[in-house]
Amino acid sequence: MVDKLVGKLNALAVLNNNALGETHMLKKALLALAIGSGLLLPGTADAADPVKVGFAVAKTGLFAGAADGQIKIYELWKDQVNARGGLDVKGVKRPVELVYYDDQSDAGKVVQIYEKLITGDKVDLLLAPYGTSSHIAAAGVVERYKFPMVGNTAASVKLREIKPGNIWFTTGQMPDRLAVSLVELFKLKGIKSIALLANQLPFSLESKTYLVPALTKAGIEVKVSEEYPPSIKDMTAMLINVKQANPDAVVAFSFPSDSAIYLKQARELGIDAKFQFVEVGPTEAAFAKQFGEALNGIVTMGHWTPDNKQWTGARALFDSYVQKYNEPPSYLNAPLVYMSCQILEQAVAKVGLDRDAIRKTIATDTFDTVNGPVKFEGIENVGTPAGLLQIQGGNMTLIWPPSIATADFKPKPAWPAK
Amino acid sequence: MSTLFSGQLLFAALVVGSIYVLIALGLNLVFGTMRLLDAAHGDIVMLGAYTSFWLFTLSGMSPLLSMLVAGALSAGFGAAIYYGLFRRLLANTQLSQRLEGNSLLLFFGISIILQNVAALCFDTTPRAYTYLDGIIRFGNVAMTGNRIAVLIIAAVLCAAAFLFLRFHIYGLAIKALIQHRQAAAVVGVNIERIQLLSFAIGFGLAGLAGSLLSMTEQITPFMGFPFTVAGFVTVILGGLGNLTRGMAAGMFLGFVEIYGVALTSPSLHSVLIYGVFIVVLFLQSQGLLGRRPS
Amino acid sequence: MQPVPIRTSLIFVAVIGAASFLPQFGSEYVVAVALSFAMWVALAQSWTVLCGMTGYGSFGHAAFYGMGAYVQVLTWGTLSPWLSVPLAGLVSCLFALAAGYPALKVRGPYFVMLTFGLAEFLKFSIIGIEATLGQFSRLIIGAPSPNALYLAMLGLAAAATLITYVVSNSRFGYGLRAIREEEQAAETIGIPVARYKLTAFGLSAFIPGMVGAVMAMRLSYFEPSQAFDALISFNIVVMAMIGGSDDARGPLLGALFLIGLSELLWARAPQVYMIVLGALLVFFVLFAPQGLAKQLFGGARRRAT
Repeated sequence: MVDKLVGKLNALAVLNNNALGETHMLKKALLALAIGSGLLLPGTADAADPVKVGFAVAKTGLFAGAADGQIKIYELWKDQVNARGGLDVKGVKRPVELVYYDDQSDAGKVVQIYEKLITGDKVDLLLAPYGTSSHIAAAGVVERYKFPMVGNTAASVKLREIKPGNIWFTTGQMPDRLAVSLVELFKLKGIKSIALLANQLPFSLESKTYLVPALTKAGIEVKVSEEYPPSIKDMTAMLINVKQANPDAVVAFSFPSDSAIYLKQARELGIDAKFQFVEVGPTEAAFAKQFGEALNGIVTMGHWTPDNKQWTGARALFDSYVQKYNEPPSYLNAPLVYMSCQILEQAVAKVGLDRDAIRKTIATDTFDTVNGPVKFEGIENVGTPAGLLQIQGGNMTLIWPPSIATADFKPKPAWPAK
Repeated sequence: MSTLFSGQLLFAALVVGSIYVLIALGLNLVFGTMRLLDAAHGDIVMLGAYTSFWLFTLSGMSPLLSMLVAGALSAGFGAAIYYGLFRRLLANTQLSQRLEGNSLLLFFGISIILQNVAALCFDTTPRAYTYLDGIIRFGNVAMTGNRIAVLIIAAVLCAAAFLFLRFHIYGLAIKALIQHRQAAAVVGVNIERIQLLSFAIGFGLAGLAGSLLSMTEQITPFMGFPFTVAGFVTVILGGLGNLTRGMAAGMFLGFVEIYGVALTSPSLHSVLIYGVFIVVLFLQSQGLLGRRPS
Repeated sequence: MQPVPIRTSLIFVAVIGAASFLPQFGSEYVVAVALSFAMWVALAQSWTVLCGMTGYGSFGHAAFYGMGAYVQVLTWGTLSPWLSVPLAGLVSCLFALAAGYPALKVRGPYFVMLTFGLAEFLKFSIIGIEATLGQFSRLIIGAPSPNALYLAMLGLAAAATLITYVVSNSRFGYGLRAIREEEQAAETIGIPVARYKLTAFGLSAFIPGMVGAVMAMRLSYFEPSQAFDALISFNIVVMAMIGGSDDARGPLLGALFLIGLSELLWARAPQVYMIVLGALLVFFVLFAPQGLAKQLFGGARRRAT
């Protein structure tokens, strides 16, 4: 009995050591209570052994800013699971311990880290690194060790070239599917012409490649089409052309830093197209702070909202994130990351930690997540459609596709003059 | 083509250029007086931006006010690392043999430290706030208040720096030091004090530039590097250590960036800037653009 | 050229021999760390041939690495990867010769910045070219096993070390050092300065090109903004500086020291690791400007001053 008690205490210590973020005293107490109460239950003797969950994070380097929200979701998920008494491993609840290393946003380091996690730390489960290039680098490792991993923050048609079997991607925003969604909405809203701006990074260029033929097919005219390198600092020249062309819609396939430039200067120049799509960035908290009301009416990509009542836990995810971190989660990345945790959690609850069984389960089952049902075909999540979000009255709302939307598209109001 | 004559484009070029001017001026001061290549210059810009962000977020202080705080803090930081690190480097004859290379590495080390201390303290989430965001129209040119503020303040600072270097005794001493170190010492310039002053002014200007940028850009611990690069490109264009031409070069770079893109294609933006940079370096090494580098 | 001391060559052969058996008994993670160590040795040695010896500091070696990676993904599927690797080295070398011809006329800090500018220029040009080709990132499917790649990288590290060693003890190497100490004087005493510098530049690009080609297979992914990342250039300089010296020992020590430090620290305290790295750089410049090699082996070779 004493041994068991020591085991429990050790597990608790592990948990506390691992809570790198600020865990509130109250939560700590609850956690202790939750685990303490486990002591009284019979049949949980082996449950003290923590389940080690490993992953690489981009704490430094190029992706550090963007990857912050991913780590926060992983931490949140771990806290929630442990507060529930632990991860359900085929009926036995065991605490979750996160093992992670900084990859310096370097794909070479990602490969090393996943090798270390699997062979050195002997982790029980894997979570994904940040960004498309890191996912592709890690895909080679998980394939070699036949270690199933659910990816999250990656989207590229190139992902379909990866051998399926040990890696899956939760995104619904594959560029070709995103293009279809955009054009469907354009047709519905009577958009006849657009201006197209694209950053020369893989995801934005892929988005452009699939959008242009879809537009042609739908008879929508592309009045302006420009590409720019990721180092762009000013878009005035491009936007003057856009303004002169006066298109019905502007589509900016942009990344956060240039999304901010677009929003700033489009407002300055008074580009008043009723439909303005800005691809990556507007879902982040910094955008709300920097642009406030000027974000109203902007459409961006994302397929999640806490307001969809059919998705169990969607609202709870939003609330618990706000409670823990004092800011709203990213509508784009937070659900992708959380879904990947949920899928893993559900697979483990069903079949335990056996990798072959997990692989089979993830590949064939349908999972119930905060973003609705997820089903994989090959590496791709076919359960979640490519969606569009719009900021309406300061709130992020899901406007497309109709099957999951919680609001309808509204023409963008004039930029605030204040 | 009518785009080229738009006042909007001119305004954009002026704003971009004026930031480059400010950043390059500080970089050039530190190089001119001591042959030190400040690879951490952009990170001082970052610290200035965070200073204004936090003062605005926590106490609501206007960045127009907090830029003084940022400038003063950065100047103090400059003075501190001058005393702590660079006096040693400059005094050591063995080290000063390859001063440019060594200082580049030293500052690069400082840059890594600053970025990661900032990441540790403020985390890596991009930060931003809204200030002077109203749109003001002059004819058919629309500008946000904060960009106008950037332009005006940068212009005032540049004018002040120009006058200081031209008329103030310390300003003249700085120029003397840049032109001929030994001779300056002979005529009684207190080299030690002038070097300290150059550090303080150079860093202070970078901090101020950061405050100004915080109104218009998102702030992250890693935002500084592009500004370091832009600063170096500018300084090379104007000739290392040549302050007035460096200021002109900052504006020139702003115009290359904006009009170059307008004339060709946005996709050529960076190729254009680095192309100009390379060509100027070649020409300069051939002595085709005035003073030949020593 | 001086005869190679028997002891040195024996140690060299023994170390390479032992290292090539690592995959048999080391865990995959150990092999992964060894691969990255070998990579940095190869890169830093190549850098030393040009920059350590002539004093022409390059902040643009990422260009050669990136070129190599690009050649590998371009020829993937049409050429055997083991043919692409030397081809990548060749292309990098030719590129260095073409760029070096005008670039090496520029001296001092201007040269440092020029190399950085050239590397960035090349990066953005390739981003543009790939965008025009409609290739936004490229995947390498079916790359050789990590052990094979490790052995290839080990070979490159050994070759780079050998090149640096041979050059550093040759007439050519002494000529390069003379250029570093006083270029004008070197010219006067009859050293073919321009040819020597260009040869050194070409040599220092060859191995990094091949390293890039091998790493492209290791990462199985190519995106120009990552393959030409300026951070690669900076890391090479930092390693070479910390190692110090103008012969083959410096880069070895520098890479060993930094990889060791990174293994110790990076795992649990990523930002602290970076801060320590920065502090070390400051420390070495100020207190041990001639690097670890000098600290450990003393002033075997005195500088002219």
